[in-house]
Amino acid sequence: MHQPHVVGAGMTRFAAHDRPLAELFGEAAVSALDDASLGTDAIEAFYLGNAMGGQIENASHLAPQLASHIGLAGIPCQRFEDACATSSNAFKHAVQAVESGRHDAVLVGGVERCTPETGLDTAEMTTQFATAMHELYEQPVGLSFPGVFGLLTDRHMHEYGTTEEQLAEVAVKNHFHGSLNPDAQHGREITVEEVLDSPVVASPFRLYDCCPFSDGASAVVVANESVAETARDQGADEPIAVQGVGHATDVVPIADKVDPGATQAARDAAEQAYDAAGIGPGDVDVVELHDCFTGAEILATEALGFFEAGEGGPAAAEGRTRLGGELPVNPSGGLKAKGHPIGATGTAQIVELVTQLRGAAGERQVEDAQVGLAHNLGGDTATTLVSVLEAGA
Amino acid sequence: MTDRDPQPDGGHPAGATDPTYAEWRQHLWEDQVLLGQRCHDCGHATAAPKAACAQCGSRSIERIDLPPEGEVYARTRIEIAPAEFDGPYTVALVDLGEARVLARLTGEREIGESVTLTDVYEGDLGPAPVFG
Repeated sequence: MHQPHVVGAGMTRFAAHDRPLAELFGEAAVSALDDASLGTDAIEAFYLGNAMGGQIENASHLAPQLASHIGLAGIPCQRFEDACATSSNAFKHAVQAVESGRHDAVLVGGVERCTPETGLDTAEMTTQFATAMHELYEQPVGLSFPGVFGLLTDRHMHEYGTTEEQLAEVAVKNHFHGSLNPDAQHGREITVEEVLDSPVVASPFRLYDCCPFSDGASAVVVANESVAETARDQGADEPIAVQGVGHATDVVPIADKVDPGATQAARDAAEQAYDAAGIGPGDVDVVELHDCFTGAEILATEALGFFEAGEGGPAAAEGRTRLGGELPVNPSGGLKAKGHPIGATGTAQIVELVTQLRGAAGERQVEDAQVGLAHNLGGDTATTLVSVLEAGA
Repeated sequence: MTDRDPQPDGGHPAGATDPTYAEWRQHLWEDQVLLGQRCHDCGHATAAPKAACAQCGSRSIERIDLPPEGEVYARTRIEIAPAEFDGPYTVALVDLGEARVLARLTGEREIGESVTLTDVYEGDLGPAPVFG
């Protein structure tokens, strides 16, 4: 068994981009390779995350196209689709390929365009996103993705007394973090009042409870210890060890989940990742998690074991998850403020953790960050991947 | 025998669901009846028929009629709707006792409040139960 490391990381700014997928991905991939001080000749496989290129951009066979765009044609290339968890799934396969010795170094990343730059308006893109739910028993009802998490959060508010103000505090925190991240789509701070005054999208969520539509790309190079040493010799920054990746699924549709609000796949994936890394929730210094909606962040902080059931809302309101708090959550701004270009989100979380664990995050640096955790969720919480990274290992 | 051939007893082909989606849709549309399934091995029930039990994997499952009464489990008021729908409207998870179903909800209802299957929403993507 080899020890997988992330030896290079790069991303575009998340925003509305008028550039095509290849140009966006090219920027992220070349940045990751340059960050690793490695040439394309060091890369033995390419795993791409892209969820909806076929249906949004008329572009479905993207892995070899994008490999050719960045000079990687010839090596095995594969595209992964796993709704919003797409590039975390690609990352898992890269980690396993390196761990097993199949490949010495793999380029893994994701790209997606979801803003009106695609020619699709809000209602049309809401329809595109809804294709990730059950087409027989969920889509005909008219459920939207804000609605999926609206249901889970409505139940959480009923069971534990979570309030709209606590939801708003998550948005305020993540916008503050985003204001410190030059790659974030939303760099403006907001107030609880602004959140509560914004129009309802799907109750209990208002506009500022929801992540934006985003375009962007992200990429990392996953390599074994030998390539990591070469990269270091050639001037790369510190390699960051991947200590565990968990991946679990839950029953679809949402009505059939035993306890929908438990987000069981997150709990199962976290247990796998903690076990593989030999750590527990108390050992984590920095978290990038899937805050597609403010309620999703509260559910996730509980499912990952950071807070007891019902304590996620109060913890956010008390600043415990803010930069400078006991466990900073989403220092990048998260999906909420950094943005959520579906297929690029998972590896962008890894990019942020690598930046944090190298101590290179500037104004948004989490003090003494040694262990980082990424949580990336897909569909109606049907899929979750949890990854644990560690500096100096 | 291919998987498209009917079984000798006139039942469903191996690996198919009982009821099929066509049957589920027809019963909802024409009779306002929600068909479901119950697992013989673990007892799990569902309003979304499958080829095997989603909880234990057993293929020993029977078709059942689900009750038309239940309680609101969770709600969301959809203001920004997908392109095929005209918002706003309310979507809810309704607890039917042994199974839950995703449905449209009419009126202002609280979690835990009793509701009844009163109508069927007929949208472009298929029928959906309406509780109120």
